[in-house]
Amino acid sequence: MRRTILIHIILMAGLLNLAAQTPEERYVQAGELYGSGDHSGAAAIYRQLYEEGFRSGDLFYNAGNAFYKSGDNASAILFYERAKLLSPADEDIDYNLQIARSRITDRFETVPQLFFVRWFDFISLLASTNFWAVAAITLFALALLLAVLFLTKSRARGRLLSFWLALAALLLSLMMISLAVRNNSLVNHNRKAVITCSIVTGRSAPGDSGNELFVLHSGTTVNVEQELGDFREVRLPDGNKGWIRADCMEKI
Amino acid sequence: MAEMKSILTIVIFLLAGLTAMPQEVTLTVDAPATAAAGERFRVIYTINSTDGQFTPPKFDPAFTVQGPQQSTSRNVQWINGDVKTVATTTLIYFVSVSEPGTYTIPAAQFETKKVIVSSEERKIVIVPAGQAPAAGQAQGQGQTRAAGDVPSAGTDVSLRLLFGDREVYAGEPITVTLKLYTRINLSGLQELKYPDFKGFLREDIETPPLRNLETEVIDGVQYGTGVVQRMVLYPQISGDIRIDPVEMTVLVQERTGARDPFFDDPFFDSFFSSVSTVPRKIATQPVTIRVKPLPLPRPADFHGAVGSFSMESSLSAPEAKLNDAINLMITLKGSGSLNLAGEPVINFPQGIEKYDPKVTIRSSGTSSGSKIFEYLLIPRNTGTFEIPPVSYTVFDPQQEKYVTLRAGGFTVNVTGTPGAEEGTAPVYIPGEDVKYLGQDIRFIRNGNGRLSTVATPLVTKLYYWLWFVLALFITAGVLLLRREQMKRNADIAGQRNRKAAKNARKRLAKATALLKSRRNELVNTEVARSIWGYLGDKLRIPPSEITREKCNAALTERKVGEDLITELNRILNATEYSQYAPVSEGESPAALCKRADTLIGRLDDVLD
Repeated sequence: MRRTILIHIILMAGLLNLAAQTPEERYVQAGELYGSGDHSGAAAIYRQLYEEGFRSGDLFYNAGNAFYKSGDNASAILFYERAKLLSPADEDIDYNLQIARSRITDRFETVPQLFFVRWFDFISLLASTNFWAVAAITLFALALLLAVLFLTKSRARGRLLSFWLALAALLLSLMMISLAVRNNSLVNHNRKAVITCSIVTGRSAPGDSGNELFVLHSGTTVNVEQELGDFREVRLPDGNKGWIRADCMEKI
Repeated sequence: MAEMKSILTIVIFLLAGLTAMPQEVTLTVDAPATAAAGERFRVIYTINSTDGQFTPPKFDPAFTVQGPQQSTSRNVQWINGDVKTVATTTLIYFVSVSEPGTYTIPAAQFETKKVIVSSEERKIVIVPAGQAPAAGQAQGQGQTRAAGDVPSAGTDVSLRLLFGDREVYAGEPITVTLKLYTRINLSGLQELKYPDFKGFLREDIETPPLRNLETEVIDGVQYGTGVVQRMVLYPQISGDIRIDPVEMTVLVQERTGARDPFFDDPFFDSFFSSVSTVPRKIATQPVTIRVKPLPLPRPADFHGAVGSFSMESSLSAPEAKLNDAINLMITLKGSGSLNLAGEPVINFPQGIEKYDPKVTIRSSGTSSGSKIFEYLLIPRNTGTFEIPPVSYTVFDPQQEKYVTLRAGGFTVNVTGTPGAEEGTAPVYIPGEDVKYLGQDIRFIRNGNGRLSTVATPLVTKLYYWLWFVLALFITAGVLLLRREQMKRNADIAGQRNRKAAKNARKRLAKATALLKSRRNELVNTEVARSIWGYLGDKLRIPPSEITREKCNAALTERKVGEDLITELNRILNATEYSQYAPVSEGESPAALCKRADTLIGRLDDVLD
């Protein structure tokens, strides 16, 4: 008992010590730990930063690397997936994610997304949701201005130009609204989750009574379709569905 | 009464001693325990006495009995002055039984003058023909041979496989000796036929051809023995593996004459009989070898070597010239499966070209010896290269565990100038593909940590959407205002349009009034003003912008007749002209006023 208290005190002291440093210093410290080979120590700091609400592609990428090196492949995949949402065009993330994925047990015949959905998602992730939102409102205002010009100007040639420009700005603005919404749903309300238990059974119903349908291993990415109590209905990459305990997965 | 009998026995013994027959009379029977149906076997009764009556046993009716063949012998020995007489009577029955089953050969009796002795009963099992032990049939002498390592007495010729060990690890070599045992004279060996030794790798050891047999006594029986072949077996799979018999044909010198009952031991046959050579097939017993699998997990640098080994390495030269070959020798010494030992894996530094090793096995007849891996290395770059230490794991069956052998690494210093030989011969430098040695994730980003918490997404906030609505409202408001203003502007213009002719006529009236005052230049100015004012109101051109060209263009656009425009220009010319010219010249102001009045009337008809 006394020992537990002691450990708690040490842990608290450690946390206080951490808290005394600025997040940036801790970020740099984690990088140094990683470089010196203490991968799990680095991973713990990165994870702490994530839980404090810091978001950046590099942070998640480094966290993924640290988890990969410390042997926690599922967490590595989780953080690479998160990093990909913040910097979709980063080729290093894709490369490392592919290596981490090669160590997963489960193999699927994946159904690829339609190409325009993929492109749209990619474009929506290229900037933050608020960037798109601000751009949308700006363009909307521009479109209205051009519309006013069109309606009030008397000279024929200028009127036509302002009409087309207004139309284009309106369409662009609409597109950016949808990009902002899509980005928000991808980054902040993503339905993908990574299996963290080393092995988990998928059942036909929530609870432990349903028929066993499949077995998943850690690191597999699934899509959460429904939530009910402690159970989640997930869709596998090959399209099959089943219920899995909620504590065996972590949302991206 | 019992006392009487024992006294009598003692007396008889005493008497027997006096008559130089001190030994007890015995009757022994020798018969096989099993025989095949229809096979002829012998039942031999031996009595160590010659005087007496033999009563044969009551053979079973199923027995077909021939004989007996009786023989007696008397052997007198003088030992240290003592005379010793040994007499023997032998009766041989040749029996065959056609029906399988278990039979009893009842006791036989021998009656001398003094005693009656009985032989013991014998049980004999007759098995169906074809199931009898192969050896017994092959020999055809009614003698069965006990299965075992050592040939039982009475076996004439046999072949055995002698194993060094019957329980081994996979890959552990077993020395095997194929040995011939014989009690009869052989004139030659033929057709040695090996089974396929399934599950083993067989390696024959050079064995000198069998010329002379050595004498060996096994269980008191003398055999001539000889090693036919030595070999080493390397088990390849684990489990209980059966080795099928090795077959061989021997040429037996067989007696052709009648058997001498006295010397009925085949070993003596050749001394007394005329012989002929008969081929006879003999075979070894099938043997099962238990092969234990090597323990798991196997170390990564285990390459199949089982046995006790030592390893050393040597390098031909620590200094090397560029593109000059050097040799690295890895020597594996010891006893075990040298043949199966794979080459060690050495990670040679990049820049040194490695060729497949030359492998030499030096073995001294048995499975001990040495195996040398000779690597030819050619340095292709200058510098100092580290050849790493070699680690090689073998399985030691004695210790029953894996043993890792280590041999030292080397440092090679390569000197020389790249391309030094270019002068002598054109050098073809082939492009080299980049060598990928492994795969790992890429390193982390060591940026100066600019961390930011994520901002609240605007799209989830109502006020963001209200901005759009607000923008729409503002636009709508602007448009409304603009429309109001335009409407008002349009009203002013319309009024002026409608009153244009009226205003112009007012001005002309003023000009007509000025006619009386004789001030012509003022009249002309007033006429010009009235026309310009009319045009400005009618054509909606602000007074500051009005020019004659603009008016002409606007009038042409409104489809005003060419004659009217010409008239307009004439009047305007006239007014301008009269402003600067002497009064008397040109038209009279009154006529100009009239013309202007007519023009405005006509224009007003055309323009709306």
